[in-house]
Amino acid sequence: MKKKSGSCLLTAEVFFRKRDEMELVVQLIVYGVLMGLIFALIALGLSLIFGVMNIVNFAHGEFLMVGMYIAYLLSASLHLDPLFSLPIAGLAGYLLGVGSYRLLVHHILRGPMVAQLFGTFGLMLFLRYLAMYIFTPDVRSVKQGILVGKTLSMGWISVDASKVFSAGICILAFAAVYWMIYRTKLGRALRATSIDSEAAKYMGIDTKGMNAFAWGIGGATVALAGALLAHFYYVTPTVGMLFTLIAFATVALGGFGSIVGAFIAGIVIGLIMVVSGQLVSELKFSFIYIVYFLVVVFRPRGLFGW
Amino acid sequence: MQQFLTDIFSFEDRPRFERIGFLIFLLIVLIFPWIVTSAYGRAVMIKFLLFALFGLGWNLIGGYGGQVDLGQAKNVGFGAYATALMIVWWKVPFWITIIPGMVIAAMESFAIAYPMFRLKGHYFAIATLCVALVWKELFIFWDWTGGARGVEIPIRSGADFVYMQFNSPIYYHYFILFLFLLQFYFMNWFRKSKLGYEVQAVRDNEDAAASLGINVYRTKVINYTITGGLGALGGSFMAVYYLYIDPDAVMPLDLSILIAMTVMVGGAGSIWGPIIGAALLIPLDMYLGAWLGAQKRLGIDFMVYAVIMMVIAAKEPKGIWGIIERLRKKGEVGG
Amino acid sequence: MMLEVKNLVKEFGGLVANGDISFELRQGEILGLIGPNGAGKSTLFNCIAGYYKPTRGNIFFEGKEITGWPPHLVTRVGIARTFQGMKMMPNLSVEENVMIGAFCRTSDRQIARKEAQEILDLMDLNGEARVLPTELPIALQKRVELARAIATKPRLLMLDEMAAGLNPLETKEIIEALQRIKEEKRLTLFLTEHVMEFIMTLSERVIVMSAGKKITEGLPVEVARQEKVIEAYLGERYAKGR
Repeated sequence: MKKKSGSCLLTAEVFFRKRDEMELVVQLIVYGVLMGLIFALIALGLSLIFGVMNIVNFAHGEFLMVGMYIAYLLSASLHLDPLFSLPIAGLAGYLLGVGSYRLLVHHILRGPMVAQLFGTFGLMLFLRYLAMYIFTPDVRSVKQGILVGKTLSMGWISVDASKVFSAGICILAFAAVYWMIYRTKLGRALRATSIDSEAAKYMGIDTKGMNAFAWGIGGATVALAGALLAHFYYVTPTVGMLFTLIAFATVALGGFGSIVGAFIAGIVIGLIMVVSGQLVSELKFSFIYIVYFLVVVFRPRGLFGW
Repeated sequence: MQQFLTDIFSFEDRPRFERIGFLIFLLIVLIFPWIVTSAYGRAVMIKFLLFALFGLGWNLIGGYGGQVDLGQAKNVGFGAYATALMIVWWKVPFWITIIPGMVIAAMESFAIAYPMFRLKGHYFAIATLCVALVWKELFIFWDWTGGARGVEIPIRSGADFVYMQFNSPIYYHYFILFLFLLQFYFMNWFRKSKLGYEVQAVRDNEDAAASLGINVYRTKVINYTITGGLGALGGSFMAVYYLYIDPDAVMPLDLSILIAMTVMVGGAGSIWGPIIGAALLIPLDMYLGAWLGAQKRLGIDFMVYAVIMMVIAAKEPKGIWGIIERLRKKGEVGG
Repeated sequence: MMLEVKNLVKEFGGLVANGDISFELRQGEILGLIGPNGAGKSTLFNCIAGYYKPTRGNIFFEGKEITGWPPHLVTRVGIARTFQGMKMMPNLSVEENVMIGAFCRTSDRQIARKEAQEILDLMDLNGEARVLPTELPIALQKRVELARAIATKPRLLMLDEMAAGLNPLETKEIIEALQRIKEEKRLTLFLTEHVMEFIMTLSERVIVMSAGKKITEGLPVEVARQEKVIEAYLGERYAKGR
């Protein structure tokens, strides 16, 4: 008799532990996919810029950081809900992107690759330390907002409302960009420029304008992602490099120049981060860096790229 | 033998004004601590020499090799930790500790070079970033190296030449000057050696270099390996100078960036570049800070560097030395 | 037999750039390779020089198999080449460019320098030793390229469209320079070219390629008259019309 109840208890315990584990796994997957969608949006801009003019934007994460600070500032000083900062961040990102192109990038495109590299590198440094100068390295966060700090419960799964919302916006943004690129005349001009800018020029396409536009969209999408991130992530001036690297890993995995690739790779990277964060939390970003390294060395084309 | 010594010390192949300029520079540096007696001034000079040292090493891969490496801090970290740990655990004299530091850095660089040199340009630069960041996170994660707490070297009294610990900055000044000159003359030998020429040939045109008998891959790997070892030397100095190291002090991203930046601004690929770059940026950094007050300075120095970098990228990728050379050529042709 | 190419095939995905090419090159010869654009001449060149790995077939140099060897080993074994676009080291002086070639055979800087100076003398480039090659006119750059290749002490020198972009006077000068160094350094030459005057004057024997295959070989005068050669360049109608 005793033995039976003992084993019953054991089974029950095992059952509940397994259920906990299963819940944890599902929770992790959900979290990973949500973060992954945000990574995908971050990577989208980088992939676009690279696709159109084969230059790599070291300052990409810094544009994100700008988006974050815009959300923070609007919230802290004007008590504006961070949701309203989204279009503003997007616009600011667009202007920043176009400005960066016209003032700097356009002049280094013709130069040696080393010059291109330290051109955008210089831009990265400038923005990073400008932020550090203005805002000091203190960590900030957005304290109030409709979505800040709220959780949604679906059965036994609970997720941050802000993350779900962000993921939704990312999907919308992806759809919008995809539609723009493949279904509009503007997008066709962009694609033409990325395939062969000389030929595009001869066909009457304003390639300089296209380049600027690509940088604009790149800046807008990533600043938007920044404003979304501000809902639940720390705002500091040094956050840029981390997300630049995550974006690089995502774009490398998805394939440079591929929009679909950025989407899928983003989700994969999100899952990797979440899983490795669970296993060894101090090294969760290391795994992403390692992914970049392995992909770029052993399968440079990534999943979908050219 | 005599030829070997000449190769190390001679600058016959460079124009006279460079030789004279360097001698003047050397003279100033030699008598500096006797002229400038403020602790701050001496500290600035030591930091300048340290970054000139770092820059000389980085110049191998970034300048002569033409590959932008944004992860040199990992090598600095290897050297710093090797020295610090060996002193703390086993009381090993400083000059012996620099050997394992350089060897470990070189070996790691060698191992990572094989996969990494499949990459070029931006991808290579990002990969170096990734590698350095992974190492830094590892050092924070590992307990046996002290983790985030770091390693503290016990203080000794008086002037100790075994552990290179002194109570006056004058000793450290000549100490770092010695290390700097070691690397400087090594670079002088290097730029004229077969390896030095091969490295530059590979930088300028890989296909042509291969057609002239150069094993391109092997050359890149060897170059990167040496750069690794050289970076560790500066790290070892940092350990005994600051007497406290942790991953954020000796392996941070900002250090890699600063090292790369000083050389690129000064003139990558020329032996004078790292010196010029450090001479411009380090005092700027230290004095701008003091002038503006500690609070405000944060970031302004780098912002200024960043603007300089962007301007140089757009106008003269060869840095300040490139501008000097261009002016000199104009003078030659016109005059 | 200096160079033997046996049944060389090079495919790029579905495209057959070289299909079953075979030929021989004797020591001391000057062999020319001609053919219309897209015939696969550069591919053949690059396969021999090591920049492409042949899909099938064998290459022998002085009896030793060198198929698939990387470029630096091909040079070390005694085959030097020049490039269509003159790949100069823009940050090194003319003398230093040539020294790099000399370093192939020595580790001593003084020796490399002396060899470089000798060759520059031979090529009449002494005055330009300290100049950056990109500041020189094309004709002189070509001579620097030649000098650089010679510095590696080759026994076989492969020239990839040496005469491209030269006016008739410069072409003649380069032909003379080539003949001079061939004598001095006892070289065997293998050249590919579009400028007919250049290649037909210099070559003792000529191979013709078209659409990836070797269509004929022989003396320059003979080959120029063959119907299939004219057809390859100008199309069937012209060939038949004659």
